[in-house]
Amino acid sequence: MDKDSVVNELCELLQKYNKEGIELTAETKLGSDLDVDSVEVMDLIMEIEDKFDIDIPINLVSEIESIGDLASLVFKRLEAR
Amino acid sequence: MQLTATTNADLAFRIGEFETLTDGLDYAAKGVTGCNFFSPRGKIADVLTYAEIRQRAVDLAVRLDASGLKRGSRFGLIAETNASFVVFFYACQYAGLIPVPLPLSINLGGHESHVTRLRGMIAAADLSAAMASVDMLPTLREAAEGSGVELIGSPDDFYGLTPVGGDPRPFDKTEACYLQYSSGSTTQPRGVLVTQRAITSNGRAIGQHGLRLRPGDRATSWLPLYHDMGLVGFCLAPMLSQVSIDYLATSTFALRPRTWLKTMSDHGGTISFSPTFGYELCVRRMANSNGGEFDLSRWRIAGIGGEMVRPDVLDAFVDTFANSGFDRTAFLPSYGLAEATLAVSFTEIGAGVRVDRVDRDAYERTGKAVPAPRTTPASSARSFVLCGRVMPGYESEIRNDEDQVLAERDIGRVCIKGPSLMDGYFRNAEATRATILADGWLDTGDMGYLLDDEIVITGRRKDMIICNGRNIWPQDLEWAVESLPAVRSGCAAAFSVNDDHDEERVVVVVECYVNDPEKQQELVKDIAAIIHRTAGVHCEVVLVPARSLVYTSSGKLSRAAAKTQYLDGSIRLLHAEPAGPEPHLEQPRLAVSAGA
Repeated sequence: MDKDSVVNELCELLQKYNKEGIELTAETKLGSDLDVDSVEVMDLIMEIEDKFDIDIPINLVSEIESIGDLASLVFKRLEAR
Repeated sequence: MQLTATTNADLAFRIGEFETLTDGLDYAAKGVTGCNFFSPRGKIADVLTYAEIRQRAVDLAVRLDASGLKRGSRFGLIAETNASFVVFFYACQYAGLIPVPLPLSINLGGHESHVTRLRGMIAAADLSAAMASVDMLPTLREAAEGSGVELIGSPDDFYGLTPVGGDPRPFDKTEACYLQYSSGSTTQPRGVLVTQRAITSNGRAIGQHGLRLRPGDRATSWLPLYHDMGLVGFCLAPMLSQVSIDYLATSTFALRPRTWLKTMSDHGGTISFSPTFGYELCVRRMANSNGGEFDLSRWRIAGIGGEMVRPDVLDAFVDTFANSGFDRTAFLPSYGLAEATLAVSFTEIGAGVRVDRVDRDAYERTGKAVPAPRTTPASSARSFVLCGRVMPGYESEIRNDEDQVLAERDIGRVCIKGPSLMDGYFRNAEATRATILADGWLDTGDMGYLLDDEIVITGRRKDMIICNGRNIWPQDLEWAVESLPAVRSGCAAAFSVNDDHDEERVVVVVECYVNDPEKQQELVKDIAAIIHRTAGVHCEVVLVPARSLVYTSSGKLSRAAAKTQYLDGSIRLLHAEPAGPEPHLEQPRLAVSAGA
């Protein structure tokens, strides 16, 4: 899986958090654009872990702002598997 | 890997009968109980008996002493839930150093605000040394830059220090124990200096009276170790009574709350605490289950603390997990605060959650908790949870603003006295004077009343916001908003409003100097975004015309006045979006009693 397809899969997964139906791209900010709150973030990370079968170190979450950041992290964890 | 035993077969069970933490650990180390750490997927990751913890702590203490750290200097520990934190905390006790647990952050994009927060604590505590795991070390170094911290490293860096020349002397019973940062804003954090006397007396009261510990008890916890409920309730107090603890990281619980219940079920946990929020999260995540896959029948104390107790949520938990053998009388409401080390009161074991239903109108207008007749409809009643009597050795009083003691069922400031009160905030005489009254009583900052000597909390006078179990200081939100170019300094007020379920919602009122409606909409978005980055919460943004609100004498928007006007609907709105209280919201009684 390449990084672009990770971005696409994430965008698909994120649709249900997309309350205002904005266009999702690698640049979309999870906090300010999608307004994902601290509880939803946990739901989201769990879904990503299950979908990609990876572990996401929770310490790294504070460094994530955009869908692209998230995709890079997922991509790294996939490669490290 | 095998978990530590629940009971010491060959060592007498001594409940908190110690005068220092090292006395307690020296004794616990004679047995086979200890701490167990579980992975994010709920597997056993690390097991240490108290004997092993003591051995490592004593060894490390020699190295810390040899490194030249002065007695009584502060040692910051990024408090991840793992063996290193526990070993370092106790090593400081053996070395005569004051450990300072430091917070983690799991907010999306929250790195900057985490660093700022750490930086404030590092400066306020005047740290001499600091430790973080390899993962967190870059964040810690960034925060400590230019602060003058002499030693910063990973656990292995400190374990690798030379022991040559080290001759550590443990804290004695008259000395300090640790420094707890759990209140205060980012730039003015307030550290509670907890003494050996405070921690051991609170640990003893918790074990002997609050929980009535007995052989066979086993603690389970996901509470963060940088908060008093996690650190005291589920690290220090259990150790002082030789109780084994099963730990999950807070993030593990947040991701997969069922791991908490599974761990209790698999390993026979009998005691665990959580804010109401934690029980709610379990219910929320049990959609595709009949709730019967666990054995929760041994769970004898399901403590509730840290935020207002919400009975309806607990009812839902009971309904969801009835098939797992959860007993509703296991619920144990409690009251406490870091300024009293941790615990002040517990309800009687086995009594469950008891609610006082009062007349809403009297509560709002007269500040009295008048019992509502059974026939009173729900809309005219307000329910509060009884949090028990203070523990032996403690006293409680309800006072008005003139410091007069009020009668039963009169709502006022909850004040307490007892052996585990802090002497004061660390190097902050002003904040101390505002909290420790002239007669030695502690003003908790909470509002409430007494009912047959039981404490009933109705809300907070302090402005602190508690959202999803986390404390948020309004000042931090206001500063963040005021950092936006379009917002003037001192023109934002952040506060929370309670709905009928005692859940808090964040509201930010901002005076707006922008006229273009499109730009105003943009500003609303920017404000919501920066609040989100700062604290990870949703908020309602309310734009009001310039100079339309009340200012304090220091030229700052008055939070209390903004909240009152927001709640009674007299606030003037600038933008078109609907704002103001929804019909089910509590009336402004709390805001009024909060004063300015």
